[in-house]
Amino acid sequence: MAANALLDRLVGLAMLILASTVFLYYTTWTLLMPFIEDEFVQSFFPPRAWAVRIPVILLLLGGAVVGSFLSLVMIRSNRKKAAKAAQKAKAK
Amino acid sequence: MTRAQQHISIAALLSSIYLACFMGFVPFPAKIQQDIIPVLPFWAIVSFGAYLLFKLGYGVLTFNDVPQAHKELMAQIDQARTELKAKGVEVD
Repeated sequence: MAANALLDRLVGLAMLILASTVFLYYTTWTLLMPFIEDEFVQSFFPPRAWAVRIPVILLLLGGAVVGSFLSLVMIRSNRKKAAKAAQKAKAK
Repeated sequence: MTRAQQHISIAALLSSIYLACFMGFVPFPAKIQQDIIPVLPFWAIVSFGAYLLFKLGYGVLTFNDVPQAHKELMAQIDQARTELKAKGVEVD
């Protein structure tokens, strides 16, 4: 029981650190890089076009996953409903 | 004013301000107008996602077990199960 609580806390902490890192990196990338000419600092960040492409790709992928899951569930439930109706008609 | 109305009005206000900046009706230095303004919506979306992840992680990190409530809940579930069984309803 205690080990599970420790694992939970680690997961929470990992999410926290990931969220902060993503925020700081992305903010520096999009808002601060245009003003920095230093080549050494620029080497840490890919070209700025990717700062737009990556979120768009992730959003589209996320939308596709959610949409397919939804459609799968709806198809399955409709099939069950049709099977039940057919069974009822047969029993009559 | 309902919560939805409040959210929608704030969203409308922010989008109109952003649209005005985007279409060039607000005089900004050329570098800002070209590099920063178009990227702002994507930055907002990514920051919002990071904020949600942060909130989730923090909640997971600070969630404490409540053994007393757990015992109580288990007892209530058992009681409900026996009562329902007496009336002919099967629960897993």
